[in-house]
Amino acid sequence: MRIVVCVKQVPGTNQVYLDPETRSIIREARHAVLNPYDAFAVAWAAALGKQHGWETLALSMGIPAVDSLLRDALCRGIDRAVLLTDRLFAGADTWATANTLAAAVRKLGGASLILCGKMAIDGDTAQTGPELAECLGYAVVTDVTEIQALSGEQVQVCRNTGDGMQQLQVQLPAVLTVAKDSCETPMPSIAGLARGAGRPLACWSAADLGADPGLIGKNGSPTRVVRTETPPLGKQSRPLAGTVEQQAAALEKIIREIVS
Amino acid sequence: MPQNLIRALTPDQADYLRDESRLNGQAEWIAFPETEQQLREILSSCHQAGRPVTVQGARTGIAAAAVPMGGVVLSLTRLNRVRGMKRNAAGHYVLCAEPGVILSRLRKQIEDKHFAVSDWDEPARQVFEQFRRDRAFFFTPDPTEATASLGGMVACNASGARSFRYGPVRRHIQGLRVVLADGQTLDLERGREKADGRTLTLRTEQGGQLRIDLPTYTMPQVKSAAGYYAADGMDAVDLFIGSDGTLGVVSQIDLVLQPLPDLLWGVTCFFGEEEQAWQFTEQVRADSGTELVALEYFDSQALALLARYKASHPAFTRLGLPQRPFGAAITCEFQGEREAQLWDATEHLGRRMEQVGASPEDSWVARTAFDRDRLLFFRHAAPECVNLEIDRNRQQEPSLTKLGTDMSVPDDKLQAVMRLYREDLKASGLPYAIWGHIGANHVHVNLLPRNTGEYETGKGLYRAWANQIIAWGGSVSAEHGIGKLKTDYLALMFGEPGLADMRRVKKTCDPRFLLGRGNLFAPPEGRGSE
Repeated sequence: MRIVVCVKQVPGTNQVYLDPETRSIIREARHAVLNPYDAFAVAWAAALGKQHGWETLALSMGIPAVDSLLRDALCRGIDRAVLLTDRLFAGADTWATANTLAAAVRKLGGASLILCGKMAIDGDTAQTGPELAECLGYAVVTDVTEIQALSGEQVQVCRNTGDGMQQLQVQLPAVLTVAKDSCETPMPSIAGLARGAGRPLACWSAADLGADPGLIGKNGSPTRVVRTETPPLGKQSRPLAGTVEQQAAALEKIIREIVS
Repeated sequence: MPQNLIRALTPDQADYLRDESRLNGQAEWIAFPETEQQLREILSSCHQAGRPVTVQGARTGIAAAAVPMGGVVLSLTRLNRVRGMKRNAAGHYVLCAEPGVILSRLRKQIEDKHFAVSDWDEPARQVFEQFRRDRAFFFTPDPTEATASLGGMVACNASGARSFRYGPVRRHIQGLRVVLADGQTLDLERGREKADGRTLTLRTEQGGQLRIDLPTYTMPQVKSAAGYYAADGMDAVDLFIGSDGTLGVVSQIDLVLQPLPDLLWGVTCFFGEEEQAWQFTEQVRADSGTELVALEYFDSQALALLARYKASHPAFTRLGLPQRPFGAAITCEFQGEREAQLWDATEHLGRRMEQVGASPEDSWVARTAFDRDRLLFFRHAAPECVNLEIDRNRQQEPSLTKLGTDMSVPDDKLQAVMRLYREDLKASGLPYAIWGHIGANHVHVNLLPRNTGEYETGKGLYRAWANQIIAWGGSVSAEHGIGKLKTDYLALMFGEPGLADMRRVKKTCDPRFLLGRGNLFAPPEGRGSE
């Protein structure tokens, strides 16, 4: 039985630069950090792997420098890691990324459970996890706040529906995207660091995956970023007068004006 | 009196009568100068009228130095601009900032390399352009309270965890502009105005001359923020740093920036017994390289307090804690340029843990921004929990205040002082928590009295410890300053001759004893008040 956890490198700063041609984020090693949601996916994977004796594997698609994020996952108790890196993967949208990750999972011989962060804080799409499930034909549950029970056949989870909590039992194999603060995220220990340094980290290219070139990278991306813009930031002062009730009513009117 | 600059203090300005020490003072007037010229007019007017003046920054101090005891509150919150940038002889970037600049804001500006430069002169703008294109830099002092003002930090020679490697504020000040009590100004540059032996002669920009006979005492050879700094041939800037707002009002601070290393790791080691943590500290300190920048301690009571608040208080639910109780914890902070260097240093900590009988499994290594934030939460949670605890006790007994020590001892007295604290505290039955800068033999003992009887017991312990620590060659205040709350301990430390020396310095700079009245020592009776 195997748990795969997908992680992504995101910019660790607000000063993000876009490629003028592709309008996608220029990814640099410096100031790059693990997507914060993925930290919870890694913590869940390490804890479940230890509890059930399942193999755990961290998977990422990115530039070669992403290996430091994967090494960090190994220090946190993940058994092995695979970095998917190749110029042919560049410019991928969420669908091409999901296809690439799916090809890697197939090459591994599949997984019982795949964990992803709910979304990445750079693109904010929350699409890759569900699309990965679609590519593999696995079940998917998004925005999981708790993994309550796991057996060889199924997993029981709690998810946030936006207006309440929903408890689900899902047949494996399944993809779960997990919410922030859904579990404790223990830091690695000094001993964990030493163990992590000795664990295997492999690099796979597009050729290693045997991926269809039409499904990966820019060529495999059905979407294009046509334009990016910063929404205008407005600021106004309006004095409120009258009784408390009148001021409250005026304030309500302003709030409705803004949100409409 | 310049009526437009000094106004009557109104009831809605009651916040200006207290600071984080929670001591309440009183004042009749308040002033908010926006320029050095206004500051001079205010001080000159108060000098002529004989009005006492209490200087305030962000009021985050915990020794009550900013709490007024009558007269005028001089708030420097509107003197809050960064006025320029230059390079010193060693090539370091030097920022010229007003005293009301808030540390957290300055840090952000330095990190973003973003300053309002439109008012800067051309040379300053040119230096800023070089700075913008250069690597990352930082201002090293890191007091727990990041909303402190630069003026306040200079007044008490603040430090923080990283002073283990970088030293206190004093080490990072290139120059000061000072307005004296009578409104005259001094422009001081490190290396330029130096004492001849213990005599310092200064010329004001208005042509006046001060001949200051410096104190004859020997400063303790430990981290200290107690009393006026004195040494043969010392720099004039060092006299004003740590003078608790009693010798003059700083109107500009030239602070030196240091290159920010690329990597910052925090390693927290947990120990079953407190003695293991003390031995570990001595060993790690002895063999540390330049990469070790901080060495911070949490005793069993501090860890237990955190566990209690995590279980009971919603603000601490997300606080990361070890799975089982421990006797003590030490956080080591490393900075460096190469990952291999920090790996080696971390592995070395693991071996040192084993040597004192602890396990490297019982540790946290924070290498990512995500983990560093969690570690910072852990470190700052201890003082917050103590404050909540004190507030809870004050609901039963409003006269209670926190009794927090700030004393340091020489290296060879570390284990002795830790034992002294623990044995006395166990015997007293007082609730307490200890944490702080163990690398500099400087921990804060926080006594948490529940009633006035326990409060008096705590005060007795504090005094007994001060006596012993002074006998060992330590200091009664390592970073908070003396203010109004620790004047008795300063008297114990320097004795009557030392206090007389300090009063003599004060009299030369502020003949009417108007500035920071009640800080460091009591003013001579019947002088200068209205």
